[in-house]
Amino acid sequence: MKTALSRFLHSQNASLLGVIVAGAVLLTIQSSGTFLSSNSVQTFFQFLAIPIVIGLAQMATLAVGQLNLAVGAIGGFSACFAAVLMADAGLPAWLGGLVAIVVGLLAGLLNGVLVVLTRINGFIVTLATMTILTGAQYALVGTRTIPASAWPELASIGSARPLGIPLIFWFAIIIAGLLAYFYRNALPARHMLASGGNELAATLTGISNGRSLITAHALSGLLCGVAAFLALASLPGANKSVGGDWMLSSFAAPIIGGVALTGGGVAVLGTVFAATIIRLVDSARAAFQLDPSWVNFVIGAVVLGTVALERVRATRRTPKSGRKATPPDAPPTAAVRAVVQGGTP
Amino acid sequence: MTDPYALEVREVTKTFPGVRALDRVNLRVRPGEVHALLGENGAGKSTLIKILTGIQPADQGELLINGQPQRFSSAQEATAAGIGVVHQERNVIADFTVAENIVLGNTPKKAGLVDWKAVRQGAMNVLDMLDFPIDPDTPTRLLSPAQTQLIEIARGLYSESQVLLLDEPTASISEAESELLFRVVHRLTEQGKSVLFVSHKLEEVFAHCDTVTIFRDGASVLESAPLADYTRDEIVDMLVGRTLARLDIPDRNPDRTGAPALELRRVDTQTGHQGINLAVHPGEVLGLYGLVGAGRSELARAILGLDRITSGQILVNGTATTIRSVGDALERHRIGYVTEDRKSEGLFLDQSVSRNLTVTVLRRLQNAFGFVPEQAQRDLADEYIQELDVRVSSRDQLVGQLSGGNQQKVSLGKWLAANTEILIIDEPTVGIDVRTKGAFYQLIWALATAGKAVIVISSDLAETVTLVDRIAVMSDLVITGEVTNTHDYDEMSKAVIRLVHRDQTVDVGTP
Amino acid sequence: MSAAARPQAQEQSAAKRFTRIISDNRVGLLIMITVLFVTIGSLKPMFYSTDFVIAPMLTNIAIFTVIGLAQMMALSVGQMNLAVGGMASAGALATGIVLQRFDAPLVVGIIAGVIAGSLLGALCGLLIARAGVNAFVVTFAMNFALLGLVPTVYSWASPDAAISVDTPGLAELGRQTLDQVCIGAMCGPKGVPVLLLISIVAMILIGALYSRMRVGREILLTGSNDQAALLSGIPVARRLITVHMISGALAALAGIMLGASTGSFTPAIGQDFMLQSFLGPILGGTLLTGGAVSVLGTMLGITLTVVIRQGLLIFQVGVEWLNILLGLILLIALSSDRIRTVVGQRNALRQTLAKPQPPGPGAPPSDAAAAQMESTR
Repeated sequence: MKTALSRFLHSQNASLLGVIVAGAVLLTIQSSGTFLSSNSVQTFFQFLAIPIVIGLAQMATLAVGQLNLAVGAIGGFSACFAAVLMADAGLPAWLGGLVAIVVGLLAGLLNGVLVVLTRINGFIVTLATMTILTGAQYALVGTRTIPASAWPELASIGSARPLGIPLIFWFAIIIAGLLAYFYRNALPARHMLASGGNELAATLTGISNGRSLITAHALSGLLCGVAAFLALASLPGANKSVGGDWMLSSFAAPIIGGVALTGGGVAVLGTVFAATIIRLVDSARAAFQLDPSWVNFVIGAVVLGTVALERVRATRRTPKSGRKATPPDAPPTAAVRAVVQGGTP
Repeated sequence: MTDPYALEVREVTKTFPGVRALDRVNLRVRPGEVHALLGENGAGKSTLIKILTGIQPADQGELLINGQPQRFSSAQEATAAGIGVVHQERNVIADFTVAENIVLGNTPKKAGLVDWKAVRQGAMNVLDMLDFPIDPDTPTRLLSPAQTQLIEIARGLYSESQVLLLDEPTASISEAESELLFRVVHRLTEQGKSVLFVSHKLEEVFAHCDTVTIFRDGASVLESAPLADYTRDEIVDMLVGRTLARLDIPDRNPDRTGAPALELRRVDTQTGHQGINLAVHPGEVLGLYGLVGAGRSELARAILGLDRITSGQILVNGTATTIRSVGDALERHRIGYVTEDRKSEGLFLDQSVSRNLTVTVLRRLQNAFGFVPEQAQRDLADEYIQELDVRVSSRDQLVGQLSGGNQQKVSLGKWLAANTEILIIDEPTVGIDVRTKGAFYQLIWALATAGKAVIVISSDLAETVTLVDRIAVMSDLVITGEVTNTHDYDEMSKAVIRLVHRDQTVDVGTP
Repeated sequence: MSAAARPQAQEQSAAKRFTRIISDNRVGLLIMITVLFVTIGSLKPMFYSTDFVIAPMLTNIAIFTVIGLAQMMALSVGQMNLAVGGMASAGALATGIVLQRFDAPLVVGIIAGVIAGSLLGALCGLLIARAGVNAFVVTFAMNFALLGLVPTVYSWASPDAAISVDTPGLAELGRQTLDQVCIGAMCGPKGVPVLLLISIVAMILIGALYSRMRVGREILLTGSNDQAALLSGIPVARRLITVHMISGALAALAGIMLGASTGSFTPAIGQDFMLQSFLGPILGGTLLTGGAVSVLGTMLGITLTVVIRQGLLIFQVGVEWLNILLGLILLIALSSDRIRTVVGQRNALRQTLAKPQPPGPGAPPSDAAAAQMESTR
């Protein structure tokens, strides 16, 4: 127990939690307590649910060394697609929610299949699908806003407050918990992490890297769909701007939370904490009545600082006694290329 | 009818675009035997390993396991059919624990989830078998390279296969650890299991193997013969072919009286080299021999300023100096380094021959405004294409399209184009076919005769004995001694092997 | 991809040369542009109106080509610059402030903006090359930071968060066409905006850098194989910094050009640059892996996207379809590359299989065989 505790205290999560506590205390003092009022707490968590889920969506692709630029586009398109079906085709609300999730899953699946089949950089593939889906979202709804009254059942989920905390926040937490369990114990998840950590080693032990990539993109899409569902439940309506500002913030949470861009690792708790910090920055910005653009500036600086700090820590962590310059997991690049490219017919 | 063979390879052919990597090779491994598969780099051993482990399919021919024809489309199928493998490279997932790495690919599961208890237990069993005292929950990133290699071995044993393939498993582990591995190997064969052992270390092969197959240039030149029937020399002859034997070794007497072109005095490095003394004179070919992992290439990196030198001195032409970078080594000291892995470190495969040859002289060719005259580059490229007899269709051909020998010429040529006086050539003939090797040796001698100082780094003893004037032996990051080369293989190999196995050393050959 | 799969560039038979020309991205682009231009024009003659269509189109091409070049710089070393938009807006901001606050002459303002961009780029390059942080993260974070910083500075510099300046020459530079620029009696052609000249100069400079200069050559070699570059004595870190510096300078230039064309410098400048910046080079044949660039291809890639945009506008199809089309074009362009590679590999393999068997075991295969074996080892 003691070791687990001390490990936690030395981990990145502890520092993140420290920042959260300090930020909350600061805001409480600044607002002379109103920050802790039930109203303010509810608002805080209401707008934290979606950032958590889209951060996790990005984390799913980062885990295999990929990224998903289409997080916002998939979410926005799924939400609008379901909204149009519910408002214009009379789709029942529960089915509409399901449609949003399934559409997200399919879009993610498409990303994965394209990445594997075309062997194009995932960045470009998702850039393309992002562009297409953003266009499609606009083509679907144009300039109109479909009011949430078209799906009252979903909207009631969004306004539910069990234990004084918004239901959609509980949703986000449950999803994070499931995901943490999945990455720890499920075989496909372990395979994704293996592929992300060392492609060659995965190939040589019979793990299909292609399948890992597809699974990761599909999972990412699924989570975008869930975020779309949460957006439908909590926003006053669906229009072309849903998802528009998700892409950038989806990267910030996992990167600050300690997920390496090179793949091979996840940090569910770290991502949740980091999303909370970003939410706190936004609250602080509102409290100090600063321009909204300050939040972006702070996030950018923090992302850069986190990564630079991680680099410094990594170089310091390298054992000095190690006589080999190459770390044990460094695969010979030429060999990797040969096996990974020529390996599977 | 029962087939007597645990593993049989019949007439297997594998073709890659432009080339036949394996040409109707045969191999038969009986139950309970240790079978050596020998061959130079590029002879096709690794291609066969890939076919046997399901990473690549064979184009033609048959694989039989216990008499049953098999065709694998993934590594998992090969494992399921009873083939276990220990790969040459250390392929671990750094973020996973030791236990999970050992079971990777065959992870025990319960209801679709990883059965962590079984993972731990399975890993413990194998680790016990190897007498490797390590907590299976240790993150793999904390292990040393040798420990990581043991994990790779443990993974091969975990699958409890009928046939275990060992692809140079001892390249980076200590003698004691190798002994443990061979004890396990013999225990397996006593249980009726078979081992296919790929190695460059002939000592190990003769000590532990029963039968032998030799590949040369994609064909099996000796098929499943009892090892006891052959002498070491006969095996070496079959490995390298007769070409080398016929090579006339010139009578060379380099003058070692003047100041050395490059001298290292009691150099310690960041990598851990200690007290390195080494000197090479103009006109001399110095061999730096050592097994893989002895720290030879790392020493070259330190000389070039890529790794830090923590104490000691480097002298160029008798003057103490500091080398800050490869560019510095080239511009100020006229030192060139031909890398071991030419594809990933020496060449720009997607660029033309001309671009590759002129990379080192751009600075010299540029005019006051930073422009490089195209004509000057073309002339220079043509000059060295001709001088080195690089077989190209034009100077604009992409280097990636050339053969290994011609690529190596380009890799060397860029340093010649830059008028280097000191050349460090790392494994000059890896992956080059036998006939081209001879030409390469002639070229290196010619360079030395022209007054250049050459250091040849090699782990190929036959090559070292043929090529160099003096042999410095490196083992475990120290120079364990130096001998003057008599070009007598038997005599030299004994002297060198003695030096390789002398772990600690005090006396160092006079520089 | 595998070296053996590359087209045999050296076999210069007429047929092969023809296939090579056909498979050259730039020729394909040129054909597509021409076909689109003629088709749209014949359906809607309005499309050929110099004042209403051609001139704005060329202005867009000029601006987007420069931003495409900015991205091409980063791609040439196998990296990306996600902050092209942010750097463009920062450059425009710097120019705007210098022109407005200090009443500086136009040239000084432009130079100030370009320097601001190149400093931001150099900062990115420094973090990438010296601290070893992934280029994606660095430029991504830089974009974030600029996204926050630029509007803040705007709102501080000017009450309506936009800077309108009437520095002499700005309007002429940004909105005039060459027929309004006369030297004596000689006037330029109608419908060609002055901004296009800037972009042509930029193309020539960048083209010369890559094809004629040592620094450009070293950049390409670094992109081709950074390890080999380092071990061949190329100052890799310095080259990476140079690349990002020039990328930043070009991005800022594009931002300034956009500002000049509209007459006001606003935080909105650069917002739609990112996609465009990737489309141009990628459609034009610049490799994502580094080591090869095409300046002309970048311009043609941009031209294609701009023609499509104008075409959609003239048919009064919603702009949302532009996105859908551009995304699809990107996917198709890249997939066809992949298909070509696979087909090439198959053909090479078939040819090898068709060759007669070598004499027998023991006879060494050709030199090329040894090379290939080694490469697949």
